[in-house]
Amino acid sequence: MKTLFNLALVALLAVSASAKEVKLLNVSYDPTRELYQEYNAAFIKYWKTKTGDDVTVAQSHGGSGKQAQSVINSLDADVVTLALAYDIDAIAQVHKLPADWQKKLPNNSTPYTSTIVFLVRKGNPKGIKDWDDVVKPGVSVVVASPKTSGGARWAYLAAWAYALETKGHDEAAAREFITKLYKNVPVLDSGARGSTITFAQHEIGDVLLAWENEAHLVLKEFGADKFEIVTPSISVLAEPPVAVVEKYARKHGNAEVAKAYLEYLYSDEGQDIAGKNFYRPRNEKAAAKYASQFASLKLVTVDQEFGGWQAAQAKHFADGGIFDQIFQP
Amino acid sequence: MKLKNINWTWIITGTLGVQFACTAFAAEDGDIELLKKQIQELDQKVRILEREREIDQDGAAAAAKAAPKLTLGGNGFSFASADSNYVAQLHGVVQFDSRTFFHDGGLNGNDGFLIRRARPILSGTFYHDFDYMFVPDFGGSTVQIQDAYVNYRYNPALQLEVGKFKSPIGLEQLQADANTTFNERSIVTDLVPNRDLGVELHGDVLDGRASYAVGVFNGAPDYNGTSTNQSFQDYKALVGRVFFQPWKNSTVDAVRGLGFGVAGSYEADHPTGITGLTPGYTTDGQQKFFTYSSGSTANGTHWRVSPQAYYYYGPFGLLAEYAISDQRVSKNGATASISNDAWELTGSWLLTGEDATYTGVTPLHPFDPRSNQWGAWQVVARFGELSVDDAAFTKGFASSSASANKAQAWSVGLDWFLNKNLRANVSYSHTVFSGYNGATSGISQPENVLFSRLQLAF
Repeated sequence: MKTLFNLALVALLAVSASAKEVKLLNVSYDPTRELYQEYNAAFIKYWKTKTGDDVTVAQSHGGSGKQAQSVINSLDADVVTLALAYDIDAIAQVHKLPADWQKKLPNNSTPYTSTIVFLVRKGNPKGIKDWDDVVKPGVSVVVASPKTSGGARWAYLAAWAYALETKGHDEAAAREFITKLYKNVPVLDSGARGSTITFAQHEIGDVLLAWENEAHLVLKEFGADKFEIVTPSISVLAEPPVAVVEKYARKHGNAEVAKAYLEYLYSDEGQDIAGKNFYRPRNEKAAAKYASQFASLKLVTVDQEFGGWQAAQAKHFADGGIFDQIFQP
Repeated sequence: MKLKNINWTWIITGTLGVQFACTAFAAEDGDIELLKKQIQELDQKVRILEREREIDQDGAAAAAKAAPKLTLGGNGFSFASADSNYVAQLHGVVQFDSRTFFHDGGLNGNDGFLIRRARPILSGTFYHDFDYMFVPDFGGSTVQIQDAYVNYRYNPALQLEVGKFKSPIGLEQLQADANTTFNERSIVTDLVPNRDLGVELHGDVLDGRASYAVGVFNGAPDYNGTSTNQSFQDYKALVGRVFFQPWKNSTVDAVRGLGFGVAGSYEADHPTGITGLTPGYTTDGQQKFFTYSSGSTANGTHWRVSPQAYYYYGPFGLLAEYAISDQRVSKNGATASISNDAWELTGSWLLTGEDATYTGVTPLHPFDPRSNQWGAWQVVARFGELSVDDAAFTKGFASSSASANKAQAWSVGLDWFLNKNLRANVSYSHTVFSGYNGATSGISQPENVLFSRLQLAF
């Protein structure tokens, strides 16, 4: 009997000591495909060394707002890495993660930042230098719908912030400015990657309002001989946040590894990968290393300029908000 | 005209042709620049229209994915939201039986046809994690609610079920009605509860290699065939079951189908004044061969233990279980623990090459005589025995002039699975009784019954 017990104990220990296979689902926004492909490989290696467990990470990408809605509708994401905090707040409202999710990780759970820049065709034939040039008649502007795309919401707010800053904080003037801008938009995609395809592949439009990292990616993929980046005088400090979707991570038994997955974004390696993919790292070392690839410009924050995402969403992007009023498809 | 019907290449070519034809006569540089500009504008318009069409197509594809799904198949009707958060399924089981008794001493009224079960089954999911099932039964003489419960799935290992459903004890009792080997479950089922009302925590662990269930129920008597248990006494029954399939995920076929476990229940103190006793133990032919006599009541603890196992390997299936039901009984000041036990062994063999399973048979070649396909055929055999504690008779809780103290039954049969949904079977059952010394009952001689069934399940 004792021998049997010992055998059973050894078998139990052998089972418990064997490596686990962990499957994570990262639901992200449109332009992060390349970032997380590289980051996932690094994390998988790190986690294997640390725990012996084999991790595979599935990625899902789309317009940030649409992605958030998918998670709300039970897409079983272990983590979300979206374009803006409002979209994760919406997931928190249905109790799939805690309301104070932004306090779980440093920098309000935003491991990197970015901004909105202009991507124009080589030689800048329309002479676009700043936001005033974008709203001129005859300039064709490509941007996604702010109803579904996080990047498009950042772009809209960047333009609005410029108008406020340059027109004496006159709301009516800002509204007129944004109306002119969207009159120049011939086609609205649902996500940032779609609008990049519209501009770069389909050769539609004179200027793409793009994530900074996405603009650099286009130069890398399509060649610097075809496009160039124009940095406006004012833009918005985009802070894409990350969070563990605790409900699903717990359900999958992935709570620990999901948390580690996001924490590793703040590591030296994670920050280096962010910089390499043209996201602005938080970490000073990585920020210094990649400083030369980012132009300096005045960056306003949503909290300062718009009173936070909840207020910005309600005023500009909610059904019946300013965007609905000014945009005529 | 729909956008997709326009051939934009021809439009551009035509436009350019006209424009270039004109330019042949307009050599001025300014005119050429103007034409170039017009061409560029036209080109942009075409590109925009094409892109809009692509976006519309993507949107239509996304909308199609978001549309609710309606499916109809061998598993019934299913309506589901696109994200499967909400599902409603309609299934059903209808069993049309016949029973013919032989050498029954001239008893009348026990042969005939009957609708054994007629159950529409409504089940589904809401809010992704909550399952429900509602099963009325229109078979028999009264309409009953067989199952009505909600199950919350936190994860596969942790689920909470609330309502009326099968009490997790008997192995054959827990098998779906449509999948049992014979028309009637074995004699062991007399000693385990049917449905009960309560709350149960349950789940599958170790990648499905083990399952558990533990719950608090009203406490159903042995074989509460009517399954309409309502109990308002203070004491409830604790019921638990563990079941292991250690090699469920093994690549070795010979061990994959082995499952074994044990289940039990404990009810602390059944108060005097409420009968709380079994309505009777019945034979395969549904004749009562044992009942407590008038005035006998439950009075004290009632516990059950049931070790159980099955083994399926290729066409071969074996199901075995044992149950002991021990209950304190009182009558006229006398009290005793009455311990009744039963066991059974059921074997089956599929003649047509399918794999036998606990969850039913799917024919390899569904019935279609035009294609020389004849469904799946299975031979089945069973032996079961139930012994009533002698004390039930010596203490006066039961009378040997009305009840037997033992029944032994063997059965053989042939099952024909025409397809996944339709099944016909015929079986013969022979039951002998001990300890009965009455004269006129149906158990004064062995019971011999020929069963048949036509079953539709979807």
